[in-house]
Amino acid sequence: MILTKRRIEEEVAAGEITLEPFRAEQLNPNSYNYRLGHRIAASDNPGAGHAAWHRTEIPVSGITLQPGVVYLSVTEEVIGSRRYAMTLIGRSSLARLGLFLTITADLGHVGSACRWTLELTVVQPLRVYPGMQIGQVAFWVCEGPVHVYQGRYHRDTCVSPSRDESLIKPGGGA
Amino acid sequence: MILTGAAIADAVKEGSIIIDPFEIAHLGPNSYDFRLGNRCRRYVVRELDCAKDNPSEVFEIGADGLLLEPARIYLFNTFERMGSTAFVPIIRGRSSVGRLGIFINITADLIDIGSINQWTLQLHAVAPIRVYPGMLIGQVTFWVPYGEIELYSGKYGKLVSPVASLSYQDFVRPSE
Repeated sequence: MILTKRRIEEEVAAGEITLEPFRAEQLNPNSYNYRLGHRIAASDNPGAGHAAWHRTEIPVSGITLQPGVVYLSVTEEVIGSRRYAMTLIGRSSLARLGLFLTITADLGHVGSACRWTLELTVVQPLRVYPGMQIGQVAFWVCEGPVHVYQGRYHRDTCVSPSRDESLIKPGGGA
Repeated sequence: MILTGAAIADAVKEGSIIIDPFEIAHLGPNSYDFRLGNRCRRYVVRELDCAKDNPSEVFEIGADGLLLEPARIYLFNTFERMGSTAFVPIIRGRSSVGRLGIFINITADLIDIGSINQWTLQLHAVAPIRVYPGMLIGQVTFWVPYGEIELYSGKYGKLVSPVASLSYQDFVRPSE
């Protein structure tokens, strides 16, 4: 089962869902809109290791994403839940402009709470802005006992909202 | 929980799911196959901007179809008018379309509960490929909500699909 707007709001108040900062106006009928963070890493050769990633701050005037490049950024919000599994979903407004937010990897594990890494790719060049509402997250009821997620990326992406977003973590390597 | 084909058919009959026109032959074990509409919208500029009303054109596709180029986004209406006031729709491509390298949505697979319309598909082709109006292009699944339902009342609700991005309406530019 997928949580409704009202239930998401109730679970945020009860501490079962983390959305920090939380702004009620970003709620949708079955999801919550998250914002794009302020840091981005780009690579046209993502298999070549960390040195191949160019990291930069996204200026207030925005940055134009180019096709053929993988960009990593993070959500402005810390997103998580001890009780519900999550799926990362695009917003149709940005999908209509050809912006992918994830490359098939849309599952957020129950028990994790972090600023999510976004895998941005575009079909046509597209200018994006820091802090814009860029995607949405949905919450799902689990069946079975919950074991808190202990995955490899958990530690790296779990930064508090007040900290710098310098921990964008490219994949590759054990 | 995801509805079965039989549950989708029941909900269509009682009116809590709208699929119009509805053809029983398009029901799958957990989904309904929908068709590509005949209206396409594409942007007339190459470089797009989330904060701007990007100019676009809409045109009808004939029986000879349209060749999709990898470097562009194509917005299409679904042939069917669809939606639900009781279940949450999620759309996905059909595997036979996926095998041709066609995306039918770009990360945005969740349809708001209460959004009842011809939906706007975001087509993107990995390699050049021709598509035809009326072809079975995607499938819709329906999911049971948990909690009190509030229906969609957003900015795309009353517009005729395919609708270009209204992302710019989100922006209050810092300089203004």
